[in-house]
This record gives sequence, structure tokens and C-alpha cells, in this order.
Amino acid sequence: MSSAAVGRATPARDRVTLALRVWGVLVYAFLFLPIVVIVIYSFNNGRAMLVWTGVGLDGYRTGITDPTIQNAVKTSVVAAAGTSVIATILGSLAGIALARRSGKWTIGFLALVFLILVTPEIVVAIALLIWYVRIKGPFGPGMTTPVVSYGMLRLWAGHALFATAVVTLIVRARLAGLEETFEEAAADLYATPWRRFTQITLPLMMPAVLAGALLAFTFSLDDTIISSFVSVAGASPWPVYVFSAVRNVLRPEIASVSTLLLLLTLFAIVCVAVVLRNSGQSTEDVAKTITVGG
Amino acid sequence: MATVAGSARGARKIRAPRFALAIPAWTWFVLFFLVPVLWIVYYSFGYKPDIFSPIATDKLSLARYKEGLSSSFLHVFSQTLQISIIGTLLCLLIGFPFAYWLATRVSARWRGVLLGLVIVPFFVNFLIRTVAWLIILAPNGPVSTLMQRWGLRSEPLHLLDTRAAVQIGVVYNYLALMIFPLFVTLDRLDPAMREASKDLGASRWGTFRQVTLPLASTGIIAGLLLVFIPLTGDYITPLVLGGAKGNMAGAMVASQFVAGQNWALGAAQAMILIFLILGTITVFALVGLAIRSIARSRRAIVLPTAAGHTA
Repeated sequence: MSSAAVGRATPARDRVTLALRVWGVLVYAFLFLPIVVIVIYSFNNGRAMLVWTGVGLDGYRTGITDPTIQNAVKTSVVAAAGTSVIATILGSLAGIALARRSGKWTIGFLALVFLILVTPEIVVAIALLIWYVRIKGPFGPGMTTPVVSYGMLRLWAGHALFATAVVTLIVRARLAGLEETFEEAAADLYATPWRRFTQITLPLMMPAVLAGALLAFTFSLDDTIISSFVSVAGASPWPVYVFSAVRNVLRPEIASVSTLLLLLTLFAIVCVAVVLRNSGQSTEDVAKTITVGG
Repeated sequence: MATVAGSARGARKIRAPRFALAIPAWTWFVLFFLVPVLWIVYYSFGYKPDIFSPIATDKLSLARYKEGLSSSFLHVFSQTLQISIIGTLLCLLIGFPFAYWLATRVSARWRGVLLGLVIVPFFVNFLIRTVAWLIILAPNGPVSTLMQRWGLRSEPLHLLDTRAAVQIGVVYNYLALMIFPLFVTLDRLDPAMREASKDLGASRWGTFRQVTLPLASTGIIAGLLLVFIPLTGDYITPLVLGGAKGNMAGAMVASQFVAGQNWALGAAQAMILIFLILGTITVFALVGLAIRSIARSRRAIVLPTAAGHTA
């Protein structure tokens, strides 16, 4: 606010502000160009995405009814939900330990987290595939696992790796920024460790946990590399389907399903934003929680 | 914390170690990251015995590292490094003015909405976003068609399957990772700092160079790392947009495992890729530290002390 007021004073400032605004608009155009292209091409009635034949809803019709696509999207959602749950639990616990029980062990643990984040995903993907094939057990076709297939277990284990590392760092950052005085006060008032956790620590770290859960979910949905290596036929997620289409023929239904998925994601995000807003955060805080994790 | 209650109760009970809560995550990391990746490290010392087996490790040597750095592969590594350094710098050049504008020139009411808008394109799958650039840049795609219709080009655009296409793709795919850390640091920056600098007679450029930029340095470093690391290891973008001319190391490593069935060579190249990433970061960090210390010693003002000594 005040900087804008200062900015008004000199014409040179105004020119800078104008240039920055133009730049901002250009960056938004750059960011949204591919999305607009996908939405436009989702209405292409041709058989191949790149050959424009006419406007129509054929892509949507095929996309919604094709059983392979249905299965791929379902696999993606189940994989993302599982990843989110696993990463949120493991990452939150590790984050609490790092922020509240730090010691010599922290260095080693953080080094491992750092290593996970700097190792190219393609290396992890290949390593995991070779590892799964070697250890078999619940990750191989031989053993029948309850509830989920071994393909899904492979996806969960792989996706949750990066997601847990990220959630750990977010929760740690959140708790490190808060003094332990509330917990201490509760302890002085004879609150049991469990009550201290549920009534003090958990509410304090909730924004970070929510942001972490959301990030883990989107990370899993977004992941193509690990999925395309470790997934198995019948349990391959949506990006793997698209990947094989890129190598063969790109059809318009890929754009149509992507458009629908974007709308669904936006809807989910708006719901989360509304919940956060109703809990008393400003629009800016909400945007920050969702985008940069508090 | 809670010394009285804690020690009274903890005296008889066996206390859990301080890292107890981190054990589940640690187990996960070891089981699905450390051991599998160490296995790959082990494989990188092996060799391919015959065309039917992908790996043998009865004789260990560094020969695969030498082979992985031979001229044909070295070209891919150097191209990868060029694409990733140029891409990272482009992200900074595009992202900084943008984040600066968002943090300092947009009213608080709109800032949240506009920040949210930045992330919307990234809710579309990474691969789909890359496919969108495949459509945009294709010879029969919209850009090519429009340019021909408006008489800007006489023939279709041949940008796809080149290094330029990969360069555009990676800048697009990783730009958000630069914008967010930059925004966070610039947003925390108190406008009063810039005003004070202005009041003390600094020019706008002087204020930017001596106040804003140093205070935003943590965000800049975070952004550079967040973009550079995944960009260098990218596998999807070169595969979709690069063709034969725009190959990158990540795709090369994958092809050794999948098409080549030469796990030892692929593993060695994966290790070289990791060293390339860590090495580049180290070199840039050292150069950055050197520049900073030189700049500091130049700017330092030696104050005479009361006793007449100089500090």
C-alpha cells in the first residue's frame, strides 16, 4: 500500500510499475497458453488431436465411456488418495520429531530427505522397479494382497517417498516457527501428552498438515516418471495412459479428460479454500497455504 | 519442557528415543529409496555380459563410468547442462520481475487471487502441459498455421524435436517453482526498507541492488535450486518435445535400462547425472560466495576506533 503511494509521487516509478504490470500480464499469458490450447483441442472432433477436423463433443463422449480411460483415472485417484494419507501421517510425525525432538539424529535424517529431493526422479523410478522385481513379496505378482493390488502398492510406496519428504519439511518449518510455550503451558496445567498433542500441537500444525496432504495428493496425480516405470497393466494411472498415447497416437479425448480433471481439481481447491476461509484466514493466507504451504 | 511432570513420570518408564516419531518415515525412506538406489550404485560397477542379460556383477570396475563419459554420451551431458543452466536463468529472469510485481505492486485484495492463478496451470498434469506445447509447436499446430496465414512464414514451423522446443518446455514446466520462493521472500520484505533507502538518497536502481536484491537472496537461491535440480534430471520434456536433437541425460539413462538393456551403463550414467547436478551446484555456490565476499570487502567501511586503531 505505502509503496504504491510512494510510487505515485514520481513519473519514473509509474513507468516501472506499468512495465511490471505488462510483464505480469505476459507471464500469465505464457502460463495459461497451454491450458487454453488443451481446452480448445478438447473440442476437436477428429481422430487425431493434431489434425483439426471440426468442433464437437466426441472427445468428451469417448473419454467418459472408454473403460481403459475410466480405469486409468480411477487408479490415479486411488493412488493419490493413498499417497496423501501415507505421506501426511509419516511426514507429520517426522516433522514433529524434527522440530520438537531434535538432536544428533536430525542431521542424518535431513541428509536423507535432502538426498531424496536431489536425486533425479528417473533414477529413483528405475531403482524402484529393479527393487520391486527383486523383493517380490507384496510388490510382486506372486502374492495375493488384501484390499489393493500389488500394482497399487508399488505406486503408493514410490509416490509417498517424495511426498513424505515434502510433508516432513513443511510440518517441520511450521512447528519450528512456533514456540513451544503453548505445549509447555499445557504440560504445566497437567495435560497428558496425548491431550497436549490433540489440543495444542495438532491445531497449531494443521495448516501445514492440510497443505502437505494437498501437495502429496497433487504430486501423486502429477507423477508420470515413477508411475510409468513401476505401474503394471490394469493398474496404470492416467499419466501412463497419456504417455503411451504420446508415443502412438494422440487422440482428442486426452485433452477432453484433462479438461474435466482440471475442472474437478479446481472444484476441490475452491472447496478447500472456502473451508480455510471460513476458518478465518484471508484470501492471501489461503492462497499461500495452498500454494506454498503456509 | 515439563521438567517436573516429565521426570516424575518418566523416571520409571522406559523413555522412547527422541527420534521415535521419525522412525516410520525413516523406514520408508530406507526401504524404498536408500536400498534401491544403493543397489543402482552397486550395478554401476558391473558390466553387461551378453546380449541376453542386462547385468553381471562378478567383476567390479569403473569401466562403465569411462564408457558413460565417452564422446557420444558426453555430448548429451553437456547439452543437458546447457539446457538446464539456460532454463534456470530464464526462469529467474521471467520469474523475478513477476514475483516482484505480485509482492509489491498488487493490492493485498488481489494478491491472493493472482497468486492462486499462478498455480492453476500446474493442476494440469505435467505430461499434459508438455503435450500442449507439442500441439503449440507442431508444424501443423496453431502457431505455425497462424504465422503462415498472416504471411510471417512461408513454410510450416519446424520447432518440434529441437533443443529450442525442449528449452521452452522446461522453462514453462519449472517456472512456478521459481515464482513461489521468490514471492515468499519479496512478500516478507518490509516496504519501509525500500522507503528508508529512498529517503537516504539512493536511486531506484541503487535501492534495488543494495536493499531488495540482498534481502531476496534466500528466495533467489531457493528458486534456483528448486528449478535446477529437477530440470537437470528431466525425462518427460525431452522425450515429448526433444526428439533426437533435444535429448537430455534423464532420457538417456532411461533408454539404457529400457531399450538398451544395459543396466550397468545406465546405472553409471545415472551416477554421473547425480554428480553433474551436485557438482554444478557446488561450483555455482563457491563462485557466489567468492563474489559476495569480494563485494563485501569492497563495500566495507573501516571505522576508526576511539583508541585510534583501525579495526
